[in-house]
Amino acid sequence: MAYAQRDTPVIETLCVHLVEHHCGELAARVFSVLARYGRQTLSSVARASYLNTRQSRMGMSLLVQEDLVFHSSTDPQATYYEINWVNTYGLVRHGPATQLVQARFGKRAAKVLTTIVSMGQASMEELREVYFPTPDEDSEDEGDSGHVNGTHKTNGVTVNGTSATTNGVVNGHATGHMNGVVQNGLTGNAKVNGVNKRRRAEDDTGDEERDHVTEDENKPNSVEELDAIVHHLMLHGWIMQSEENQHLSPGELHVMARNMAIETELSGIAPTGITQETRIDIATLQRKRDIRDAWTRTPEVRTRKRKAADPDFSRSSKRLKAIDGHQRPAARDTDIVVLHAALTVRLNPEKVAVAMRTEELVRLVDQRLGHVPAVIYQIMLRMIEEHLPRCYEPWPDPLPANPEATLDVEMDPRVLVAASDVLKKIDKTVDLLDGLDPSTILSTLRAGTHRVTKENKIHPPIDPAELRDAKPSLITKHIELIANHPFHFVTWHSRAGGSQWRIEFEEIAKAMVQHEIETTISAGPDLESKYGVKLIRALHKKGKLDERGIGNAMMMQTSEIRSVINGLTLRGFIQTQEIPRVERREAKHSLHLIYYDRQRAREKLLHDTYKGMTRIVQRLMFEKERVQTLLEKAERTDVEGNESMYLSQDELDTLKGFKGVEEKLMEQLFRQDELVATLRDYIGPLMSA
Amino acid sequence: MATTSAKAPPPEVKMEDAEALQAPVSDIGPRRERLYDKCAEATEGTVFFQRDLSNMDIAESVTDLLRIVQDLLDKHLFILMKFEGVPCWKIRPREEAAKLRKLNADERLIYHHIEQSKANGIWSKALRARTKVTQHVLNKTLKLLENKELVQMVLSVKFPNRKMYLLKHLRPSEDIAGGPWQSEGQYDIALIHAVAGLIETFIRKETCVEVPADYNNYQALDRSSAIEEKKAQVHAIQDIEDPPAVRAYHPPRDSASPKIVARHDVKHPTAASLRQRVMESGAIKNKEIRDSDMEQLLEMMVLEGRLEKVSGTNYKLASRATNTAGLNGFVDAPCGTCPVFDLCGDTGEISARTCVYFGEWLATDS
Repeated sequence: MAYAQRDTPVIETLCVHLVEHHCGELAARVFSVLARYGRQTLSSVARASYLNTRQSRMGMSLLVQEDLVFHSSTDPQATYYEINWVNTYGLVRHGPATQLVQARFGKRAAKVLTTIVSMGQASMEELREVYFPTPDEDSEDEGDSGHVNGTHKTNGVTVNGTSATTNGVVNGHATGHMNGVVQNGLTGNAKVNGVNKRRRAEDDTGDEERDHVTEDENKPNSVEELDAIVHHLMLHGWIMQSEENQHLSPGELHVMARNMAIETELSGIAPTGITQETRIDIATLQRKRDIRDAWTRTPEVRTRKRKAADPDFSRSSKRLKAIDGHQRPAARDTDIVVLHAALTVRLNPEKVAVAMRTEELVRLVDQRLGHVPAVIYQIMLRMIEEHLPRCYEPWPDPLPANPEATLDVEMDPRVLVAASDVLKKIDKTVDLLDGLDPSTILSTLRAGTHRVTKENKIHPPIDPAELRDAKPSLITKHIELIANHPFHFVTWHSRAGGSQWRIEFEEIAKAMVQHEIETTISAGPDLESKYGVKLIRALHKKGKLDERGIGNAMMMQTSEIRSVINGLTLRGFIQTQEIPRVERREAKHSLHLIYYDRQRAREKLLHDTYKGMTRIVQRLMFEKERVQTLLEKAERTDVEGNESMYLSQDELDTLKGFKGVEEKLMEQLFRQDELVATLRDYIGPLMSA
Repeated sequence: MATTSAKAPPPEVKMEDAEALQAPVSDIGPRRERLYDKCAEATEGTVFFQRDLSNMDIAESVTDLLRIVQDLLDKHLFILMKFEGVPCWKIRPREEAAKLRKLNADERLIYHHIEQSKANGIWSKALRARTKVTQHVLNKTLKLLENKELVQMVLSVKFPNRKMYLLKHLRPSEDIAGGPWQSEGQYDIALIHAVAGLIETFIRKETCVEVPADYNNYQALDRSSAIEEKKAQVHAIQDIEDPPAVRAYHPPRDSASPKIVARHDVKHPTAASLRQRVMESGAIKNKEIRDSDMEQLLEMMVLEGRLEKVSGTNYKLASRATNTAGLNGFVDAPCGTCPVFDLCGDTGEISARTCVYFGEWLATDS
């Protein structure tokens, strides 16, 4: 097929659909031009599309506001725009991210996060305006009932296609300033706000307790509470500061980091020789990490003494993160957090991936080991989640020459979990005896009054309420179950606190990738589902094999496997190779090897999943199209809420049917996104398969 | 180990006294039979040296003995062998000898070479190279020998297109027939299946226990909560310091069925222990299974996802997903198993709009 006629890359189609869904058609048009032509100036976008300059500027400003494009003005002549694929794909995760936050920090935090993600990025001032509008502005905004509409105010985003400055940063803080927060300080209506944070045990039960206080339980009660929620989310790494250099494309960031590295390491003289190059490479990576870590840093907060009238929500007694190697003074219980009005925040996509990983792992344990181990594992993972800024380090230092030396490196104690920590957090109603051999249970008890009968029952029965002493060892028994699973969900670390465990995410992530590939193969057509998994496991274990070797490893006739090999090769999960043994390269005299490359299979499945997601979005559009008139009617302001009054029974049924279809498709979309996360986000490229 | 003499066939016996052969032949028939019967009494496969034969006290002299032996050799009842340069003999069954006596020279030559290769068999090409007969003769002779049920042909496992010949009564060695899991050059799927099932049962019995749903049938009245309930009734308001007035007990989640859980103080079996169990069960007859064979089978079961390896040599049952609500987001949607997935485009005959599988899944028209 000619190059020009080839299929549009799958991810591009998907992202255009996502942009269209979130930002409207105009933005999607601009986006698709950028996707097709790559890095462009605004004027060339206008030229390449049927849009005029004004339209393309409008579209681009929407994209900039939602942070879907990189833009830089290093070239003084023009500003170049480039798609931020990660953020664009991330649009699909906005909903799940809110749910993850809700499960951890309650409904109000979720509401705040929804507001932030729908605005792309938001300053504290804006957020306060959304929830607690000042009266005069309120009248202007009256018509705009959904004040979480990401597009209703572009907040001074001026997309200046030709001038040197882009001013893509919202809220008008001067472009040159890397840290507008400090510059602006307290301005305008920055009230001295604050609230006491009480740290809840990350459960949403706390929500209900304070529901009676408010009318709308899903909204923060006061400016103080809003500040507290934002601060809390920042401490946990869920949201981060929005900064200028986030809008630089990876290439430009690299150049910037490298220049900085050359400046400091070699005082600005270009490196010569391999030694200096390596030194600069390492320093560049370090620089990139520094830049990135600065984003997630929680800014210094002002505090004030707590007043009796202040609400009681989420008092933060937790210690602040140690940054730059020194511990900050802990915010005391009596202090109230006050954030700068100009502090601009946005969602941290890396944290979303961490939380998604937690959920996925818990789901796996629940499926394979049962409910109680899953509950315990969830507690363990959520405890350390706060200290895991990302799933894997995309810019790691090169491996040292002798890997032995790194073995002794002290583990960060914050990512270790002891059985005693789990005990403190576990729900009292969880039946810890479930899923264990009665003999195991008895071995954890001190007194010998109980015994196991022939039918494997405990006699006399144990009162689960009186297990206090045995609980730590019971929990340890469950953790051992998790540890003994071939995925090695946890790894024993030390004996501190009953038993202390660490989690080797890298190995687990590899196993998860493999698991998903196997699951997909096992759902394939008849023979492939029967023997496909066995085949790739054999190849994974033994490396490249010829047909006879495979037959021996699988203990089957080669003729039976042949069709399976064929099918899997077509689906791209395994590869074949022909090695001539004689000079004439006759097929008869060649070795025909078959091998399985985990990275390739992973990429293939990822690609297929993207394609599957695209089809779901397309189908959803198609379904919507069919009931378009009805939807328009149902969305009219007078009809909305009074559907039963204005719509006929037929129309109501159709509407209900469509809602069901929409829900089903969206649910599937999110589940495919979970697969994408497993395949893409939990571990970097697997070089040695 | 005694080796058959390479000099074939019927080799010249080096007689100590050559003249003795020329002596008038008395009737040696009955003595020949007696000697043969005497030898046949010994354990099968025994080799006899001249010393052993003379100790049988049948021949009248050394010369006589040698004559008898030569007669036996001519009648194919004895096989001449050599042990550390010393000649020795082994007996051949009578029926076989009778068949051999009917063979012609070519056949006998080929038979002899096949016999030499023992259970390892000999490749037809190698046979031709050694005997130097024409291909035609070789083919004809081999067919004849097979028809007479003297030799058998086995396809080699290592080289699937090689025909290996060996004597009919021998069982092909592992080199050509493969291990106990193979028969006639092919994997014995039925046997493998049966033994694998057996192993799974053994391991389950050894490492897992079945726990009935009501393993901890705690019904007795909870004393402390009873006190608290009483207290709550009396005081009307409960002190928050006291434990709650309800029994904190979570009933088993799925109470109906018994559960299979890992045994306390579990000892995971190894290939050796499993081999012993399988042999003891009598499931495999007439076949020798070594530890390495068992390990091969166990490794295969690991690949199948039926077993898991723990610490290198031990095996346990694979943990199966208990609740399979779904596989993953991709394969649960129509696209994951779609036969025309690769042909599906954004537009065209096959697309999301026209997809029948989506229509079926969502119960809408396409």
